[in-house]
Amino acid sequence: MMQLECPNCGPRNVSEFRFRGEYVERPHDGADPARRRAWAEYLYFRDNRAGVQKEWWYHQAGCGRWFLAERHTKSHAVENTRYWGGEATS
Amino acid sequence: MSPGRLAVHPSHLIDQSRPVEFLFDGRTYKGFEGDTVASALWAAGVRMFSRSFKYHRPRAPFAMTGADTNCMVRAGDEPNVRACVKLVAPGLNVTPQNVWPSLNADLMSLSSLAARFMPAGFYYRTFMRPKFLWPWYERVLRNAAGLGYVTLETPSTYYDKEYGFAELLVIGGGPSGMSAALSAAGRGARVVLLEESPYLGGHLRHERQTVETATGERLPAYQLAARLSDRVFANRNISVELETNAFGIYEDLWIGAAKRDTRLLKIRAQSLILANGAFERPLVFENNDLPGVMLGSAAWRLLHLYATMPGRRAVVVSANDDGLRVAIDLHAAGIEVAAVVELRNDPDPTLAAALRARGIDVKVRSVVVKAHGRRRVERVTIGQMTDESPSLSGTVDVTPGTREVVKCDLVTVSIGWTPATGLLHQAGGQTAYDTTAAESRVTQLPERVRAAGRVSGTHDVTTAMAEGEMHGLDAAAELGLGDGASTELREKVASLKATQLIRNSSAVHVRGGKMAFVSFDEDVTVKDINDSVAEGYSSMELLKRYSTLSMGPSQGKYESTNTMALCSAANDEPIATTGSTTSRPPFHPVSLGVLAGRKMEPVKHTPMHDWHVEHGARMMNVGLWKRPEHYGDPAEEVLTTRRGVGLIDVSTLGKLQVIGSDVPELLEMLYINRWRKLAPGRVRYGVMCTDEGMISDDGIAANLGADRWYVTTTTGGADGVYENIEWNLQSGWTFDVHVANVTDHYAAMNLTGPRAVDILREVTDIDLRGDALPYMSVREGHVAQVPARVMRIGFTGELGLEIHVAAGYGLHVWETLMDAGRAHGIIAFGVEAQRIMRLETGHFIVGQDTDALTDPYMANLERAVRTDKPDFLGRPSLVHIEQRGIRSKLVGYRMLDAHVVPPEGSQIVVPDSTRPIGLEIIGRITSARYSPTLDASIGLCWLPADGCEPGAEFTARVRGDLLPGRVVSLPHYDPKAG
Ligand SMILES: [Zn+2]
Repeated sequence: MMQLECPNCGPRNVSEFRFRGEYVERPHDGADPARRRAWAEYLYFRDNRAGVQKEWWYHQAGCGRWFLAERHTKSHAVENTRYWGGEATS
Repeated sequence: MSPGRLAVHPSHLIDQSRPVEFLFDGRTYKGFEGDTVASALWAAGVRMFSRSFKYHRPRAPFAMTGADTNCMVRAGDEPNVRACVKLVAPGLNVTPQNVWPSLNADLMSLSSLAARFMPAGFYYRTFMRPKFLWPWYERVLRNAAGLGYVTLETPSTYYDKEYGFAELLVIGGGPSGMSAALSAAGRGARVVLLEESPYLGGHLRHERQTVETATGERLPAYQLAARLSDRVFANRNISVELETNAFGIYEDLWIGAAKRDTRLLKIRAQSLILANGAFERPLVFENNDLPGVMLGSAAWRLLHLYATMPGRRAVVVSANDDGLRVAIDLHAAGIEVAAVVELRNDPDPTLAAALRARGIDVKVRSVVVKAHGRRRVERVTIGQMTDESPSLSGTVDVTPGTREVVKCDLVTVSIGWTPATGLLHQAGGQTAYDTTAAESRVTQLPERVRAAGRVSGTHDVTTAMAEGEMHGLDAAAELGLGDGASTELREKVASLKATQLIRNSSAVHVRGGKMAFVSFDEDVTVKDINDSVAEGYSSMELLKRYSTLSMGPSQGKYESTNTMALCSAANDEPIATTGSTTSRPPFHPVSLGVLAGRKMEPVKHTPMHDWHVEHGARMMNVGLWKRPEHYGDPAEEVLTTRRGVGLIDVSTLGKLQVIGSDVPELLEMLYINRWRKLAPGRVRYGVMCTDEGMISDDGIAANLGADRWYVTTTTGGADGVYENIEWNLQSGWTFDVHVANVTDHYAAMNLTGPRAVDILREVTDIDLRGDALPYMSVREGHVAQVPARVMRIGFTGELGLEIHVAAGYGLHVWETLMDAGRAHGIIAFGVEAQRIMRLETGHFIVGQDTDALTDPYMANLERAVRTDKPDFLGRPSLVHIEQRGIRSKLVGYRMLDAHVVPPEGSQIVVPDSTRPIGLEIIGRITSARYSPTLDASIGLCWLPADGCEPGAEFTARVRGDLLPGRVVSLPHYDPKAG
């Protein structure tokens, strides 16, 4: 079982966390008929890249903080974790 | 001294003063404390332990390590137990497996005669066609498979799990592992050492040759083992787990191990040293599976651990010094050594001289060609190797005219070692086949992982200890303890490793004969490999699956190198490029009980749970919760509640406490409907959507005043709603709010029915007169003298009073209400009555009537969707959906026959002759009940939006029958309308 570094609690078993998928920006004008494509991409399109991916994690069985991790999807190596808008841990 | 036993010696594990009687195949045998089933039976002269998988050939212990499958037996109720590691116990009932009708007269062994009809891929090819015979094939195969059986009557044993942490984890308690543990512990590291045997020492424990310590001291191997073991046990920084099999290495050094076969040990290590040794390699020759043919190390184990004579007259096959030592040790134990069949030209002169001095004939450049005998080895044919032997891929040929037959009852094979790299590969290490050393060598290891001893190709004891010490020091340094190994030590290890003797012969297979087994597990022969490759299954991964090589219970431990070599020979390519198969957990078989552990299923009880049970409730599972389904008669519960009053436990509702000046702003974003104008003291129903515009949850929010709000969610939705709110709050929403999930902190109950107010009035200080508590409002006060929140809401159509109190008061308030209601004929009702009543009033349930593709427009909530709000979760999607329109709609229906209730999920169909069944599915029923109030079969169903107005008729397909129903307007029942 891999470990993940919670910015609040430090390294913990990944089973303590819940994964919420890739980080995506929510378009602020998604209802605009001219922006339907952008809205659909926000909802359904994911990069699913073989490489470093920025993604959301939630320390469900711990402190309850949501944070962002930059994880290599092939090696599972996590380059850093941080709160939204915060500084990276490493 | 008992017959078949040797005089007592300090290296023995058995205590010959303590006899133990046990049963095998119905007969009583005597062993000693410390004996394994195999050693005790071998000493008693038993030479057949099992029958093989495919041909039912007689088999007996081959390696004595617990890793091969020749001695798998049933011990008590437990199948597939390795007799070579299972300790004897008084009265233990051991029975053979895979025999019918008995071990000695096994009829299935006739399949040996039919071997030519059972080639590789036999199962795939023979049992394919015709398809209709499959049920019969399956029965035959299951009976023939013979991997034991389980009975459901077996009482379950206690299994559990243990979680451990190690600064340094060492796997393997041999000389290198113990040295590593001691040196790291000496620097202050907290070390955990896992050893599969019940003792430390590894192969030193069963060897008698003189070895040299780091300080130059010379002593017998078993004494060195004891000395190191004492030091390890005395070291407070080392915790030793014996009889513990590491079976898997996962990400970030998370290690799984089975401890004494009853406990799953999971360890998180900061650093790992693999010192788990090597498997001695079998030689492939005709009848190499006959009982009495065994590895040299197996003979050592019998002799030196269990004081057991492996045989009376031995032929020793040797291609390294281990083989010559085996011959000396057999002779020393009083066993006649008929010949040493030495594959090399130039065996170690000192050892060879010692053998000749004992009158033992050492035949150089010789090899064993064939073992003879019916149920055990009785003779062997040996011969001179040709000048070209062994070939690059390990094939050995014998010079014509050099064959001779030697009588014997024991053949030991010492031709080399295969590093046990399974765990190393799981850890991410890589190896490459080294042709000179004739074994796989470690080429790359991930960070924080090291390998010492035989697994890393270090076979010499002194070198292995130095290597272990070096890695232990380096691992400690990595933990911030000490400076790591000195340059001198590093150089010493490098030079010792470079100059150590090669222990491995490149010989793999002696040509000739059909019954030369590569895999004992699955009865795979050299011929099977050649045939498979000829048929095109030439890569290792394909060959493995087609021939079933290495797919048996020992997972290829004793066949991996030979398989690689034979595959390369069949493909006519070098071993180095043949590759090996992927190693996956478990490295060693693990009992299902160990993996399962204790049965632990969390269950949530409401504070009133025991009351429900005591009052005859039939409980049902709702997520983790237990809820009363009914107390006997749900229809009667409905009628009583509608006529008078009922009380239901709704503590399982999700509950959130939301405080702050921006709560209305937060709710505006979370729900599709409006909140800003909800006055203190008021309650509103709300629906939440995902950004896709699909309904995700519903519930109510109550404005308690002074920036305090109380929000409920569906029973299953609390955690998800809470997490989603937190996600939004932690990823950009900047509201002044604080949210707490208080689901388990409050008990809740709903008092429902025309007389609800009459009852509550008697036990509350909250004003219930006239319009003091209007529909959809909330008050705080006391109920039954404890602080309470009362909301006038309800989904039954009747007057409903929902009372929330601190969980600890739940039962008290419930009982007080039941007492107060007695004069009014109150009853408790369960989930079933609640579902009937809410269906009568036409309310849908999120997740029952809706799914991940249901938007609010489809669920008749168009008036609740306020797309005129600037934004909320799902708004952009709902704007698009509103413009596009909907295709299907949730509507109420009545079946024309009041007494037919279609199962939920039934299809709604129209005739369509182009379809195979002549019908097209256009909708489905999601909720269906008999309504005792209306004496009607009512429900909710999905229909095309076009043509689903009240009055429209449809056809439901119910168990093949086509039954008519009619769309009706909701609610089905309105108490106020009478
Ligand atoms: Zn945390």
